[in-house]
Amino acid sequence: MKLAVVGKGGSGKTTTSSVIARTLARSGKAVVALDCDSNPNLGISLGVGDAETERLVSMRESLDEGDEEHAPTWETLLSRYGSDAPDGVRLAVVSRIENPDPG
Amino acid sequence: MRLAFVGKGGAGKSAISGTFARTLARQGDKVLAIDSDPLPGLAYSLGLAIDHTPPIPDDAVIERKEGEEGPRWRLNPDVDPFDAVERWSVEAPDGVRFLQFGKIKGDPRDLWRSQMAFRFVINKLPAGRWNVVGDLPGGTRQAFTGWGTWANTVLIVVEPTAKSLLSGRRLARMADLDPENPKRVMVVASKVREDGDVEMIAKGTGLEVIASVPWDEDLAEAERRQLAPIDFAPDCPAVRAVESLVERLSEETVST
Repeated sequence: MKLAVVGKGGSGKTTTSSVIARTLARSGKAVVALDCDSNPNLGISLGVGDAETERLVSMRESLDEGDEEHAPTWETLLSRYGSDAPDGVRLAVVSRIENPDPG
Repeated sequence: MRLAFVGKGGAGKSAISGTFARTLARQGDKVLAIDSDPLPGLAYSLGLAIDHTPPIPDDAVIERKEGEEGPRWRLNPDVDPFDAVERWSVEAPDGVRFLQFGKIKGDPRDLWRSQMAFRFVINKLPAGRWNVVGDLPGGTRQAFTGWGTWANTVLIVVEPTAKSLLSGRRLARMADLDPENPKRVMVVASKVREDGDVEMIAKGTGLEVIASVPWDEDLAEAERRQLAPIDFAPDCPAVRAVESLVERLSEETVST
């Protein structure tokens, strides 16, 4: 399953996706939760707290700034730049905050 | 007054900025309300039944020719920003002029030039002729990356939730990243329900809370019915709170 949750701001995307991710994980599935929002908040709804959410964001930003090497594989990326959320969900932040593109 | 409302999606930016613009216009001030969200936004909260207005035409921006210096895109020198606002904005109730950048209907790429034109026109609009009230898209993507440079005051709309506070802190940080366009940054507390909410928002953002807009069922009902809060429930506590905010910021306005 590869599921993307989209919608207007404030409609409940983050909350919905976090509950889906944790529910799937509780049924024994291996779940990766990707925060693709340019204002990444999924960590809070998954339950890792805002300090850890911000840490993942700054890891993501240091990649763009060239302070960190890009991970060679998907697995390395998740292990190096991801974080363990409750119920065994693995969380990673995909987008960065300062992005000049419109919309 | 050049005021941008920013904040997490769903925090209440459109409802608050629409009410703000209408209230300011009722005082006799010349108000330009702008919406740079590619999704439906400010029009309904201003009291316009429309979603789509004609976008600024593509030829309002021109591309750098080969051998020329400077940025790749710029405003067509034939386009005067003040005239462009007059021409491409539409009239909203209370005499508010409303300008939005194109709303997505089909392929978003079709609107790209028109959206650039919108940005140039707003950034080059002469100071002092309009009070500009802007409703920016939710989140952090647009706020200070070229789309909010026109503003000299930024109001971050924050709800008493962890996600909204985190977004508020990020936006406050980003507002400081643009030393060439210094901005006064303050917070509007939104959907306030309990004692302690405002304090939580002040503490969580580290910023001055200049207004507190209470949770208000009338505001939610206005959104359901696609009506401007100021028309649907002019006396409801949330509208009253926005009116107080206008009063507080009014000494900076340009009177007509």
